[in-house]
Amino acid sequence: MAAVKAPPAPPPAALPPPARSLARALLRLFAVQGSYNYERLLGVGVGVAEEPLLRDLADGKYRSAVARGAHFFNAHPYLIGLAVGAAARAEHDGAPPDQIERLREALCGPLGSLGDRLVWAGWLPFLSGLTMAAIALGTGWVAVGTFLVVYNIGHVALRWWALRAGWTYGARVSIALHHPVLQRTTSLLAPAMGFAVGIALPLTASFLSGPFDSWARTALAIVAALSFVALRWRGDRLNGLRLALGISAVALVIGLIWP
Amino acid sequence: MNLPIEILITLVVWGTLVGVDLVSLPQMMIARPLVAGTIAGAILGDIPTGLKLGVVFELLQYDILPVGAVRYPEYGPATVAAVATAHAAPGVLGLGLGALVGLVTGLLGGVTINVLRRVNSRIVHAAALTLESGDPRALVRLHVGGVLRDAFRAAVVTSVGLVLAWLARPLVHVLSDRGAVLLAVAAVATALAAGAAGTLRLVGRGQTLAWFAAGLGAGVVVSIWLR
Repeated sequence: MAAVKAPPAPPPAALPPPARSLARALLRLFAVQGSYNYERLLGVGVGVAEEPLLRDLADGKYRSAVARGAHFFNAHPYLIGLAVGAAARAEHDGAPPDQIERLREALCGPLGSLGDRLVWAGWLPFLSGLTMAAIALGTGWVAVGTFLVVYNIGHVALRWWALRAGWTYGARVSIALHHPVLQRTTSLLAPAMGFAVGIALPLTASFLSGPFDSWARTALAIVAALSFVALRWRGDRLNGLRLALGISAVALVIGLIWP
Repeated sequence: MNLPIEILITLVVWGTLVGVDLVSLPQMMIARPLVAGTIAGAILGDIPTGLKLGVVFELLQYDILPVGAVRYPEYGPATVAAVATAHAAPGVLGLGLGALVGLVTGLLGGVTINVLRRVNSRIVHAAALTLESGDPRALVRLHVGGVLRDAFRAAVVTSVGLVLAWLARPLVHVLSDRGAVLLAVAAVATALAAGAAGTLRLVGRGQTLAWFAAGLGAGVVVSIWLR
C-alpha cells in the first residue's frame, strides 16, 4: 500500500476569524440551498454563509465583498464551505476582486464533482444500502436510527472541515481538494457502495415479497426484469417514477376488472 | 383513511420538515424515504408499514442523482402520504395502494420544486440591484424568504398527498385480493428495477462493477440461506 503523503503546508495564517464568526458561517451553510434558483443557483446562499466571515473587513470593502459572495455559484452543498472560507480569506488577504471571482468560478466544477462522487455516489448510497439490508434482516427502526447518526457524523464533519480548510488555504484552496484522506476515502467508497447496494437488492426483494404467493413472486421477477431492461434501454426517456406509475396504473385497471 | 386531527397535523408537520430537508435545510437526510417512512409509521403507530414503504421508495430514489440543477421527483413527503394510505389498508393491498398514492405525490412534489425555483429566480432577478449593493440584511431576507417558500411548498405537497390517501379509501373495498397483489407486485418490481438500474449507472464499469456483482452474489446466498 502506498504511503499517505502529507498535504503541502498552508500559506501563512491571516488573523484567525473569531470562533463565533466561523460557527455562524457553518450554521448558515446548512441552509446554503435555501433560495435555490436558476439565475444564481446557490449564489445567494453562499453570500449569506460568507457574510459573517466578512464583518471584520473595512467599511469600504465589506459591502462589495458581500455582493461578490452572492454572485452565481454552484457546487456540492457539503463542500461549499471550502469556497466560502477561501473567498472570505482572499477578501481578508486583499486579493483583487477579479481574482476572487476567478477563484469562485474555478471552484464550482471540482467541488461539485468531488462532492458528487464522495457523498451522492459514495457515502449516502453506501449507508442506505447497508440500512436496507439491515432492515431486510429484521433490525427494524434501529437500522434507520443508526443510518441517521452515522451519516450525519460524516456530513457535519465534512462541512466543518471544508469551511476550516477553505479559510486556512485561501486562494490556494485547491491544495485542500487534493488532501490524501479525501482522495483515499473517495476511492474506497465507490466499491464499498457497490458491494453494499449489491447485497441489499436481493435481501430487499426477499423482504418485500415475503407476503406474496408463489405466482405473485413469479410475476414480480418477470415485471422487475422487464422494467430493468426498459430502464437500461430507454433510460434517456424513461425514469423509475414514470415506469412505476405506468405499470401501477395498468395493474390497478386489471385489478379492478379481474375479480 | 380516517385519522385523528392531531395525527394528521403531526404528519403534515413531519412531511414539511422532510420536504425542506431535501434541498433547503439542513440536508441531514430525513428526506430519505427510509427515514421519512419509518417516522411516519411511528407517528401512526405502525412502524413495519413505514419500513416497507420506506424501502420501496428508497429503491426508487436510486434512480436519481441530484447533480447540478437536475429535476427529480420528491419522495420524502410522498413516502409520508404512502405510509398514511397503507396504514388504512390491510396487508399487501396497503403496500400497493400506498405506493400508488406515494408515486403520484412524488410526481407532484417534483413539479412544485421546479415551480419554486422559477419563482425564486424571478425574485432574485428583481432584487439584482439590491444584491449588488451588498446590503447584508436584504441578502438574508431574500434567502430566508426562499426557505419559507420551500416550507410552504412542502406543507402543500404533504397535505395533497394526505388528501389523495383519503380519496384512495374506496379502492380498499373495490379491489379484489388478486388486484391488490398485482398492484403491490407492480410497485415492488419497478422499485427493484429502478434501484438496480440506478446503482448500475453509479458503479459504471471496472472494479466497482465487480464489487457490485460480488455484493449481489452475497445477497442472493444470504437470502437463500435465511429461507
